[in-house]
Amino acid sequence: MSTARAHEAALVQLLASGDRTAFEQIYKRHNTSLVRVATGVVRSRATAEEVAQETWIAVLKSISGFEGRSSLASWIFSILINKARSRAKREGRIVLFDGAGEDDNLAAAFDGRGRWKDMPELWETLTPERILAGRSVMEHVNAAIEALPPGQRSVIILRAQQGLDADEVCAILGISEGNMRVLLHRARLGVRATLDGLM
Amino acid sequence: MLSCKEVASRASALIDGELSTWQALQMRLHLAMCKGCERFIGQIRTTRDLTQSLPAGDAHDEADDGHISAILSQLHKGKQEGG
Repeated sequence: MSTARAHEAALVQLLASGDRTAFEQIYKRHNTSLVRVATGVVRSRATAEEVAQETWIAVLKSISGFEGRSSLASWIFSILINKARSRAKREGRIVLFDGAGEDDNLAAAFDGRGRWKDMPELWETLTPERILAGRSVMEHVNAAIEALPPGQRSVIILRAQQGLDADEVCAILGISEGNMRVLLHRARLGVRATLDGLM
Repeated sequence: MLSCKEVASRASALIDGELSTWQALQMRLHLAMCKGCERFIGQIRTTRDLTQSLPAGDAHDEADDGHISAILSQLHKGKQEGG
């Protein structure tokens, strides 16, 4: 068993035994991302927070049945997505993550022969701590992610922030690997466009 | 020869190492001659790095303690009601 897997197995045992410190640890690691992903599905921050809370209760109730076939994070996010989708369905909406009908925001940047109309900027002065328009670059990145459509937002949070494997992200969202890569690229283009507008 | 538009559409695949040797070579050939695309790939790389360095959770928030207690007490209540 790898060190990470062994560490996770120990954490699962602690959670199953009702250890509060173990729960605090895992809550702090994932709760912000759970709410961020859910907000893309249910549209209201308050509902997303409720969905995240219901997810934690479901996680703790069924943790003894967790068999480690996926990572713990992947299992938690699967529960969240199911709950968020059910909630959206009750609100009369069906949320898909495949990004169908969405376009990237770059089409207008090229001329008829596919060449840049304007030369892209050199970003060598862009550092995470830099303040642009009154906020740090990282705050702008966060806000840009929160403005993305559900599929792009979920993929970038699960892949980039939570560091889940590509196949885990595909399974959680019910999308193909090719689709996931397109969504990740579009999500980066969206964040890039926000930063470009500030430079 | 790839167009700038095609290079831009494959930017993530290039920096994530998902292109075949031949596709990557075509990209490198274009990038060697095109300053605009070279800069664009740099922008996407910076964007990737920034999104990866965004912390997964917020800094410690006092509200968290309240939420954690609420979850645990609801769980406890459910267990009692369930038998």
